[in-house]
Amino acid sequence: MNPGIAPSGLFWTTALPENAVKVNLGDGSAVMQATNLSVLDFGDFGNSLFGGGVPPVPATVSFTVRWSGVLDRAKVVSTDTGMTGEFIRNTAQMEWSATVGDFDFVSAPAETSASDFAEIGQERNGTFFTRG
Amino acid sequence: MNATQLRAASERASRVNSPYAQANHGPKGLSRREFVRTTAGVVAAGAVAATGLWRPSLAYGAAFASSDPVPIPGGTPGLGGAFHIYAPAAIDSIDAEPITITDFNGFVGLTYLSGTVTRRNRVTREVVELPFLGADMRFMHGIYRGADGRIRQGTFGFV
Repeated sequence: MNPGIAPSGLFWTTALPENAVKVNLGDGSAVMQATNLSVLDFGDFGNSLFGGGVPPVPATVSFTVRWSGVLDRAKVVSTDTGMTGEFIRNTAQMEWSATVGDFDFVSAPAETSASDFAEIGQERNGTFFTRG
Repeated sequence: MNATQLRAASERASRVNSPYAQANHGPKGLSRREFVRTTAGVVAAGAVAATGLWRPSLAYGAAFASSDPVPIPGGTPGLGGAFHIYAPAAIDSIDAEPITITDFNGFVGLTYLSGTVTRRNRVTREVVELPFLGADMRFMHGIYRGADGRIRQGTFGFV
């Protein structure tokens, strides 16, 4: 099994400190930050899904992702997957750094990054899902 | 997670016309090795080392324990539903589920980001500038029902 996927199937998801995320749906802004988060470098996408390749290398990563603006608003109700939410489609930028083995990575300033797609919102799923 | 790689893998997978298994270990009708080679080939063609770095470690398993969030049921058809994730506006509908945990009520965010990163080898001092493409970053911040059935406050990142 891929070591980045929990035995439960939880996919590449990790706990962050409570203050790692701040959201303001009024103006469409949000920030997610982490410092020296422990992760693994699997080397390639296939290995990160299925394992079986080179053993993953311990790594740490720090990042700040900022969402901003309001391009569109959408209300979504999916009875198929059992989720409902109100979303703001906007843009995002990120600055990050990482250390893996002998390598240090430092991204260019956040202003030089761009998002293909970005959204923030408020949603309920599973046992919290109601169609209202 | 890398949306570019996921999309490429999905497109490549659809071309080999093989439905994936529901199991966590890979595609039905396509061996695990073949699928890895398929996705790895796509990755080798266009992926960037920098964006392959961020994969949460199972070392976090101990911290999760019985308070673990529960993964969403199902997953993107692009990967045969074998992985509990969707990629809205990348390989799935723009309105697809953006988070990875179920029994959740709170704030969420998702984005696919591209830019450049400088890689420095501390031993050889070699410095290389690389692009990162479609880095998939998500958050979940609210209340959730853990694997033990208890409701908790939590903040999670998909990185």
